[in-house]
Amino acid sequence: MRYHLLLPVGLLILVSGVWSGCRPKDQAPEAGPAIALVMKTLNNPFFVDMERGARAAAQHHGVKLLVQAAEREVDVEKQMQIIENLLERKVDAICVTPSGSKEIVPAIVKANRAGIPVLIVDTRVDARALSDGGGRTVTFIGSDNIEGGRIAGRYLVERLKGQGKIAVLEGIPGHETGDARLKGFREVVDREPGIKVVASQNANWERDQGYNVLQNVLQSRPDLSAVFACNDLMALGAIEAVAAAQKTGQVVVVGFDATGDARDAIRKGTMAGSVAQHPEEMGRLAVEQALAVIHGQTIPKEIPVPVELITKDSR
Amino acid sequence: MTRSSLRFDYGREFGTAAGLLLLCATLAFLTPHFLSVSNLMNVVQQTAINAIIAAGMTLVIISGGIDLSVGSVVALSGVVLGSLLTGGHSLSVSLAAGLAVGALCGLVNGVLISFARLPPFIATLGMMSVTRGLALVYTQGRPISGFSEPFRFLATGELLRVPMPVLLMLGVFGVAGFSLGWTKLGRYTYAIGGNEQAARLSGVNVRLYKTAVYVIAGWLSGLAAVVLSARLNSAQPIAGMMYELDAIAAAVIGGTSLMGGEGNMRGTLVGALIMGVLRNGLNLLDVSSYIQQTIIGMVIIVAVFVDLTLKKRSV
Repeated sequence: MRYHLLLPVGLLILVSGVWSGCRPKDQAPEAGPAIALVMKTLNNPFFVDMERGARAAAQHHGVKLLVQAAEREVDVEKQMQIIENLLERKVDAICVTPSGSKEIVPAIVKANRAGIPVLIVDTRVDARALSDGGGRTVTFIGSDNIEGGRIAGRYLVERLKGQGKIAVLEGIPGHETGDARLKGFREVVDREPGIKVVASQNANWERDQGYNVLQNVLQSRPDLSAVFACNDLMALGAIEAVAAAQKTGQVVVVGFDATGDARDAIRKGTMAGSVAQHPEEMGRLAVEQALAVIHGQTIPKEIPVPVELITKDSR
Repeated sequence: MTRSSLRFDYGREFGTAAGLLLLCATLAFLTPHFLSVSNLMNVVQQTAINAIIAAGMTLVIISGGIDLSVGSVVALSGVVLGSLLTGGHSLSVSLAAGLAVGALCGLVNGVLISFARLPPFIATLGMMSVTRGLALVYTQGRPISGFSEPFRFLATGELLRVPMPVLLMLGVFGVAGFSLGWTKLGRYTYAIGGNEQAARLSGVNVRLYKTAVYVIAGWLSGLAAVVLSARLNSAQPIAGMMYELDAIAAAVIGGTSLMGGEGNMRGTLVGALIMGVLRNGLNLLDVSSYIQQTIIGMVIIVAVFVDLTLKKRSV
């Protein structure tokens, strides 16, 4: 029977260890309002940057900020659990980057019912699903992804001088951000008679899948001239596949997000460009706008965060 | 089962239940938000999906097998169910079809394992990929969403103030616990897991009962898909990723031995609750999502360590 105590005691030690580990954070000013930032995941540098921006703003304004994310980017159910749990903590506002544009709606409705304002960051909520579900959000803070896709498209058309075969690495289907980038990109390149999109494949936003998918594409299309990846993780996978096929320089790779790794690759010349979003800015805006809502101010329904193309020549 | 092993089981269960209580007490001490009716209701609801899958997993593991396909089966059942619902079929037809898809996948697992004699790990690993692929093909990767209120009642509704997912979970564990303890199916499952050869020699139709166990596990994955789709108002082909590991963890924390022949439903229910409470508490305490994964992993290791230590003593 003595050993039966091991499990509970182990759990106790674990929990108290963590508790003491996270104490410094909790000693932030308790008097100010509490804002929750629920992200898709923290395995993607994009969201780590967003967290940094949000934390800086929270510290500056004396806000208590709670940051939580699911382990996997696609785990919509886990994200819903996190929101349910944070509603119990009676935060004053919730900022969410939805893991699923439609699947987030039930969680928004729950927050509405608890009287807690919801600000959507980075990924739009499906407007119809939201109105059908009877949910309300205060604002959308994020990049104009369609425009970002267009920028990437225009750049590739220019680089290829209107002639070439392009492969597209898509994100998870049904993701609003990926769909919007794709839409803007196709809008531009489909108008060009000399440009052909020879493959458009899903690589699930992931680096290793970007590598594998592009490796396969290169097998069947050795004359590929360019790649557009809907995020940098897939683009970074793609440049490795291009390097493995000894085609660095021949295949122009453009990504999206301009993460640190991507900027390094652009500096080295293995990657041609990346459409920069400003996740830190999104995090900052999320906290500041949430604060404005808490203070009873009316804020715009849409708060665009600019996008720009980063290439070797920029800065 | 001998008398002493029965008594041992009760002791082990006491250990896990005490672990759960102590965990709850610790969380209640650490955060004022934990011990509220609405939060505890959340935890039980959040546990329901994993618990329902884990009930099937427990049965499979007791029989000496493993089922890695459950998460993918959740996705396939969910999208079939969702497409029928949105395609205008009646609720009962859609539910029956969703559950039947789950059971059918289980049947394939069972036949591969008992008749084609594939190791359970391999057979279900293959099926994990097959069913995931089928779910993606069937939907072309797109989530199916927007279900009717009567269907959504299965996750959002309440009967006598008890949420439906909780009722379903308790129903599953009632029936499964009874079957395991008091029916031929249960006795034979223990016998097969304890010593398959001996079970066969004493006249048990091993193939039939092993197959039945996988069919039940598949059917329960279908039921989990019902709850998940109703909860998110969406059925996703990428739903349920890694659910198999959560289910195995719940069973193992609850004292089910991966060697087969040992375990019970009460333990698994407590195991699933421990995981649910832990996730909820870590959210409430605003513990970083990086550390959360580490803690959950450590809890699994501690639980199995206790299990092994106890077993050594009982030999």
